[in-house]
Amino acid sequence: MQRTDVSTVPHLHLNGVRQSIIMAVSSPSSNLLLLLLISSLDWLSTPGSAFLIDWDHMTSSAPLEPHFTECISRDQETFRCWWSPGTFHNLSSPGALRVFYLKKESPTSEWKECPEYIHSNRECFFDVNHTSVWIPYCMQLRGQNNVTYFNEDDCFTVENIVRPDPPVSLNWTLLNISPSGLSYDVMVNWEPPPSADVGAGWMRIEYEIQYRERNSTNWEALEIQPHTQQTIFGLHIGKEYEVHIRCRMQAFVKFGEFSDSVFIQVTEIPTKESTIPLTLVLVFGILGILILIMLIVVSQQHRLMMVLLPPVPAPKIKGIDSELLKKGKLDELNFILTGGGMGGLPTYAPDFYQDEPWVEFIEVDADDGDSGGKEDNRGSDTQRLLGLPHPVSHRMNMGCSNAISFPDDDSGRASCYDADLPEQDTLMLMATLLPGQPEDEEASLDVEERASERSERSLVPTQTGGPQTWVNTDFYAQVSNVMPSGGVVLSPGQQLRIQESTSATEDEPHKGKEGEDGDETEELKQKELQFQLLVVDPEGNGYTTESNVRQISTPPSSPAPGEGYQTIHPQPVETKPAATAEDNQSPYILPDSPQSQFFAPVADYTVVQELDSHHSLLLNPPPRQSPPPCLPQHPLKAPMPVGYITPDLLGNLSP
Amino acid sequence: MVDRVAVGAVWPVLVGLVFCGELTTVDAAPLCTNAQAGCHVLSLANLFDRVIQHSARMHGISNDLHSEFELYFLPSKNQIGRVSRNCHTSTILTPNGKENAQRMAREELTEVILKLLVAWRDPLWHFHQGLAHHHDFNNFSSNKSLEMSDMVHELRKGVQKVVEKMQTLGIISNSISSLASPEVLLASNSAEWRLMKDYDLLYCFRRDSNKVQNYLKILKCRIVPEHGC
Repeated sequence: MQRTDVSTVPHLHLNGVRQSIIMAVSSPSSNLLLLLLISSLDWLSTPGSAFLIDWDHMTSSAPLEPHFTECISRDQETFRCWWSPGTFHNLSSPGALRVFYLKKESPTSEWKECPEYIHSNRECFFDVNHTSVWIPYCMQLRGQNNVTYFNEDDCFTVENIVRPDPPVSLNWTLLNISPSGLSYDVMVNWEPPPSADVGAGWMRIEYEIQYRERNSTNWEALEIQPHTQQTIFGLHIGKEYEVHIRCRMQAFVKFGEFSDSVFIQVTEIPTKESTIPLTLVLVFGILGILILIMLIVVSQQHRLMMVLLPPVPAPKIKGIDSELLKKGKLDELNFILTGGGMGGLPTYAPDFYQDEPWVEFIEVDADDGDSGGKEDNRGSDTQRLLGLPHPVSHRMNMGCSNAISFPDDDSGRASCYDADLPEQDTLMLMATLLPGQPEDEEASLDVEERASERSERSLVPTQTGGPQTWVNTDFYAQVSNVMPSGGVVLSPGQQLRIQESTSATEDEPHKGKEGEDGDETEELKQKELQFQLLVVDPEGNGYTTESNVRQISTPPSSPAPGEGYQTIHPQPVETKPAATAEDNQSPYILPDSPQSQFFAPVADYTVVQELDSHHSLLLNPPPRQSPPPCLPQHPLKAPMPVGYITPDLLGNLSP
Repeated sequence: MVDRVAVGAVWPVLVGLVFCGELTTVDAAPLCTNAQAGCHVLSLANLFDRVIQHSARMHGISNDLHSEFELYFLPSKNQIGRVSRNCHTSTILTPNGKENAQRMAREELTEVILKLLVAWRDPLWHFHQGLAHHHDFNNFSSNKSLEMSDMVHELRKGVQKVVEKMQTLGIISNSISSLASPEVLLASNSAEWRLMKDYDLLYCFRRDSNKVQNYLKILKCRIVPEHGC
């Protein structure tokens, strides 16, 4: 039969190939050849069924006889077979072909006809009673007139033709989304086909999931596994995926049909909000910290200012309330300064203040006076200068005096001398440079001095002991003359006048009272023109004391008012006891009484005109004038403070 | 095709590893009665699971080996019709459907399983010996055949243990004489299988391993239906 020819052609062909392959196999290097041949013949079907042979592929030109297209069992309990008439269209009518099967249970089995026909499908259905597993079946088509179309390849066993139904209830759930928010995992689950009796263990099924993107053509197949759920990893957000599933018997080859597709899509979940709050939190946190720092700075402003900018020492005067130093309280201040509350302060010439702002650093010791208050009026400038035991109560202290305890420390002591142990010569200098007392005091002292004991006065010129303390010195002294040698003649101020009076009224009892005094007076007389010169170093390195007593030339009796200056030429004068500098120095130049005329008109201040070659000061002649007019008790008028000058009043000072 | 060879190469290694674990566990754990101390008591369900897994693997290997053989020799399909006459186990009455298997008594079913397993021990061993001598086949097929013969041997022991357990539990009667019947069967079938060709042998064994697997599963779901029935 043609059918057999057709069927045997491949058979013989295969046999021929088989023979050749067997021969080839015998050689040791045949494996590769075998592999090549096998790969080319991969289309061969599985054993047990000839249905999968592609008839169209095999026979393109030869007529196609009726044949079975496929036999399938879904549950391993029943199976169906479909046939086709092929090109024999005259046999296509139902009943033209009949199905016969052979069940090889025993060697004596016979061909039987199909138990159930379904002609609409050209199908033969074998029910449970006619189905036996593990027993070979052979199918046969018979036409009219006992024409038999039989293919030996159409023999099978039922377990080998099982193709399970597709699983049902395919479903998916979202497992998780990756931290990047770009991919996610999905768990797919399903139910085994209801036709397959998995519960009884009659069929053991394994499943295969396939998925693909919506618009792609290639399916991704996952691993075949027998469980009813599986995870798909690495799906992309926003893309739509199509998933379907099929199954087969375990350890068998034939898969069932694919199930209906299920579509998976996960849209993008906005995850940007997690970063926005973070930035906001950072910004607000920084702002809060800044505000906190500002609050701390503002609240602790004073402390911080103390640390960063330490206060500048302010002017203070001991005993005076700092409140008075403020603007607008000058009346009270001056009252105090000029002797109202604590004994006052010596007033100075107004012009002095203009140049020397550091005058403010004055310490006034108003409380402790180691001397009695009674001697205040008695002590002369000289006494004060010399630091004699009758010191004036209101004595001036140099800024750096260590004998005075000043409560306030920042009173400009830095500009003072070293107060450890002032040298006596320095003290002498300082004492001599102190200005004279105001005239009224001088006058009063003068009077008192005359009335007082001479012993006091006798002590004045002696300078052997030196000044007890240089503390009791006036701040300024009056320069009356300048020696050509460079020495400066200082007027003792009040003391000078006292000397005048004493010299004028010198008496023997005066002399005889104290030998020393008498000697002194003797000396005074003798040394009319002996002066104790104090050389003022113009460079300001300090004061040097010239121990030599020099004579000064007698200045002209009446200095011409028009003369600019007088030159005083020192004359060598034998030095008297004041050989040593410190001890016998008399801070004052004691002029002879007859020479008083020279001193009567001596003013307190004089103008230094220039320095000559010997570094001596050339001064203006003291203008002839009556004793300096009595300075007003309170020279301070509204615009003119005496004790203290505030900066706003500085402009009102008249030069 | 190369994939199949690769799979065939990987299969014996994996199966061997699994089997080593399986077989040792099946044999190393003695069945304990009365909860003896030091005894690893296994429940009947566990025993059934292990045996079923074992049979599934055995069937898988037989399927693979058969497929390889088929590819190597390219037999015609009509051999299927001829095979049924050559299987030496055709004399053993086996239920050919689900209902038949479910209707069969437990003892009969168990006996059928044991008969099948006993009948295949020697033929598979000789098959392996025959493959080993043929240098035509690659080593993977030779290893698989060895595994298969070992598996049959171990599976029979496992099923015997299950039977003992069932008899202990009173599920089945003691009518099964597991020791006696194999020798009886062996004597009757000793000659037939030597006449079979290798391919037919593999085909027959593949069919019978599937029978064993099915019967064991039905038995398990009938006796201990929990855990995956």
